[in-house]
Amino acid sequence: MPLVFSLVLCSAAALTPEQAARAEAIGQNLRCPICTGEPITQSTNDLSRDMMRDVREQVAAGRTDAEIYSYFAARYGNFVLLNPPREGVGLLLWGAPLAALGAGGFVLWRFLRRRTTATPAVTTAGEEDDPYDPYLAEVRRRTRQGGEGA
Amino acid sequence: MTDLSPLSNQTPTPAPLWRRLLPPVLAAGLVAVLGAALLSPSRNATDGGPLVGKPAPDFTLESLDGAQVSLAALRGRPVVLNFWASWCGPCREEAPLFRELSEQRGGEGGLAILGILFQENKEENARAFIREYALAYPNLRDPGAKAAINYGLTGIPETVFIDKAGTIRHVDRGGLSRERLNVGLEKIGVKGI
Repeated sequence: MPLVFSLVLCSAAALTPEQAARAEAIGQNLRCPICTGEPITQSTNDLSRDMMRDVREQVAAGRTDAEIYSYFAARYGNFVLLNPPREGVGLLLWGAPLAALGAGGFVLWRFLRRRTTATPAVTTAGEEDDPYDPYLAEVRRRTRQGGEGA
Repeated sequence: MTDLSPLSNQTPTPAPLWRRLLPPVLAAGLVAVLGAALLSPSRNATDGGPLVGKPAPDFTLESLDGAQVSLAALRGRPVVLNFWASWCGPCREEAPLFRELSEQRGGEGGLAILGILFQENKEENARAFIREYALAYPNLRDPGAKAAINYGLTGIPETVFIDKAGTIRHVDRGGLSRERLNVGLEKIGVKGI
């Protein structure tokens, strides 16, 4: 059924196979404005079908992908683009996780470096096999001293 | 005896100021972002949109009476565009307002009101609707919803208020009340009803 439907649409807009594939790819990136996160190629409502027909006609008229995307974005807002341009707030959304990852990595690196530099001091202070707990090492050292004294 | 006092004397050095302030500042920042997101107009707002302030997309459509109606020909007059369909409940509720508006503010050189049918499957139903509410302004067919898409329509009813210069000044989604209609009219320099 979808094949028949798409064939009908193809013949209506008289697209070459390359143009039809381009229209399909553009449709994949356009959100159906009345659905939840569904591209107009998958949505079955009338508005999506009309939008898809519009895309095919614009492809047939020789408009570029960018022109078609901006046509829909100017009318429905960037919301209609399933792959919105990475600029403005969009850039912040894309960049923030990377920035957070970088900052977290830096903090982790500093923490690990501080611990490895601190480790030798602890091993000299503690004589036993657990060099990571300076308090325990201190207790052991002093209890041993106390035991020897008694 | 065992004396642990030297250890307890090692009072931890207080964390630097920036480190103590960092968590509350981060939390405050998150709350501010959340607040801004909540208070900013959402996509579901009943008015506004990306077309407000932009030139109204032109169209030439055929009315149910067979006349060709072009938006460009109405330049110089304020225009109210109402997208509707007979199957839409809120469209019925607001229809009397449009009749009243066309009676009071319509006419030569005054406000132009245009209805545009949206996904009207049976034209006869639209004609019955027009008769029922005595709508005396052109109602246009929009094959393929071309004009609807050109105006970024997502549902009906939707009303677009265009000023004399052909710029969209206000868009209202959902059924109009008298107050909401007057808000749009005021923005295109037309006295409310």
